[in-house]
Amino acid sequence: MGIDVGKYLKSPEYEIKITTYRDIFQAEALECDRFGAEYMKHSACLVMSKNDMVKMGLKTGNRVKLANNYGSVVVEVRESKRDEPGGIAFMVNSPWSNALVSDETGGKGIPEFKNITARISLVKDEATTLESLMGSFRK
Amino acid sequence: MVTCPGCALLCDDIEVVVENNRIKETRNTCRRGAARMKGCVNRLAPSVAQKPDDIENAIKKAAAILQNAKSPMLFGWSNSTCEAQLEGIQLAKKMSAIMDDTSSFCQGLLIERILQKKFRTCTLDDIRNKADVLVYWGSDAQDSQPRHLSRFSYFPRGELRQRGYEEDRIAIAIDVRESNTAKICKGHFYRIPPKGDREFILALMDALSGKVPAYEPKKMLELAAILKKAEFGAIFVGLGLTYSIKDDFDILIPLADKLPNFNIMPMVGHYNMRGFNEALFKETGFVNRVKFDGKAIHDSRYSIVEALRKSIDALLVVGSDPLSSLPRSVIPHLANIPVICIDPCVTLTSKIAAVTIPCAVSGVETGGSTVRMDGKRVELSKCIESNYLNDKEILARLMEAL
Repeated sequence: MGIDVGKYLKSPEYEIKITTYRDIFQAEALECDRFGAEYMKHSACLVMSKNDMVKMGLKTGNRVKLANNYGSVVVEVRESKRDEPGGIAFMVNSPWSNALVSDETGGKGIPEFKNITARISLVKDEATTLESLMGSFRK
Repeated sequence: MVTCPGCALLCDDIEVVVENNRIKETRNTCRRGAARMKGCVNRLAPSVAQKPDDIENAIKKAAAILQNAKSPMLFGWSNSTCEAQLEGIQLAKKMSAIMDDTSSFCQGLLIERILQKKFRTCTLDDIRNKADVLVYWGSDAQDSQPRHLSRFSYFPRGELRQRGYEEDRIAIAIDVRESNTAKICKGHFYRIPPKGDREFILALMDALSGKVPAYEPKKMLELAAILKKAEFGAIFVGLGLTYSIKDDFDILIPLADKLPNFNIMPMVGHYNMRGFNEALFKETGFVNRVKFDGKAIHDSRYSIVEALRKSIDALLVVGSDPLSSLPRSVIPHLANIPVICIDPCVTLTSKIAAVTIPCAVSGVETGGSTVRMDGKRVELSKCIESNYLNDKEILARLMEAL
């Protein structure tokens, strides 16, 4: 058996802009069970244009780490079914997207929920669970 | 027919099939409404210090926490009935507490200006009957208020719009993303870059004034021509637009002035956010972010995000899940103060709460009054029997215990 050299190489990192949106299927899952697999499936997900995915060497089903100064999450990538020009990726608003949002609001009280910049890199880790997002805040 | 508490459309044409005191089936609801009415799988149970307890003890402990706090905050309110909201305002006054709701990081900026009559507005029924040009701006109603287009705006055959979307109505989407609503607005989708709304507004105002706009002149002139021809137009302001121009929100006012046949409609998510905004506005002159201290003081430092970071030492959350909806970076502040959570379901916030108090689901297990996104008062029905107290009763008991 050969050595899997790839696992010792760090995946390239890119900067990505992310905006959030609402999804009725995620909203339905939230109403039913916010701790359930269906809610996580719709939330722990980054939708990207085909162009951006090719540029970054990503495929649907890959998992990526999104990180910035405010937090990091691992989510699954999906190719957009829309004709997106690229340059911006999309996440359904959820605790996963909120992990990347600053609480610094310039004193105005409205965070930049829809204007996220993060570093993106391919990883083999499992997607971040709600439990692990919550973990450090349990009393 | 009953009313759905799924979103601020408060659809009042819902049929429910009840079997063994459970809603087995709903008719006419959207996916979200059906899920809300059928109920969550994890009902909240009363607890104190993360241990199961009875509801009387939970209320007593909650009262003690609030009584011992020097700077308590009461937050949530968008998923509560008007009656509970009024009780909450009285509780906040009694405790000299800070009070805020989810509109603080949602549509509060717009609703405040609508209540101050800075914009022309209308009812959803006016839109159904009269509107010929519909602008969804930063709003994906198909996913957030899924029956908006079918009940009120694009598809119905209104009194003056008998030919509906086929001939009588034009729907336009202005958005960063080709949303499901934008898909419907075929040929009238204007894609803008993130934070591009301000530039778009300025260009559109130029086009409406007969000047050649600097930004996408051909498309802007084409859009201005459509808007100018409108007999009865509506701009549905979504969170995409609100967040994008939050630092210069009043830029919308001169645009609205240039469109005298248009009305501005806030696209509200939670079913009674507007109810809270109207109640607090009536009481204080402000829609959110107040501290009661003899009189009501309004300041952005009383917004939930700023208050959590700086000034509060206890938090009562009613019908909301700030741990889920706020930036994660604000959450550690929650871990340092006692949180009291009143909700029908287990939430992320309830999982860290010092006290949890379950309540009945409004519109399913208890009735009450609400205010639709357009300001129309709508009554919720009680569909099934329940042993849970409703949130007004819980707040009244808290008030007594104080």
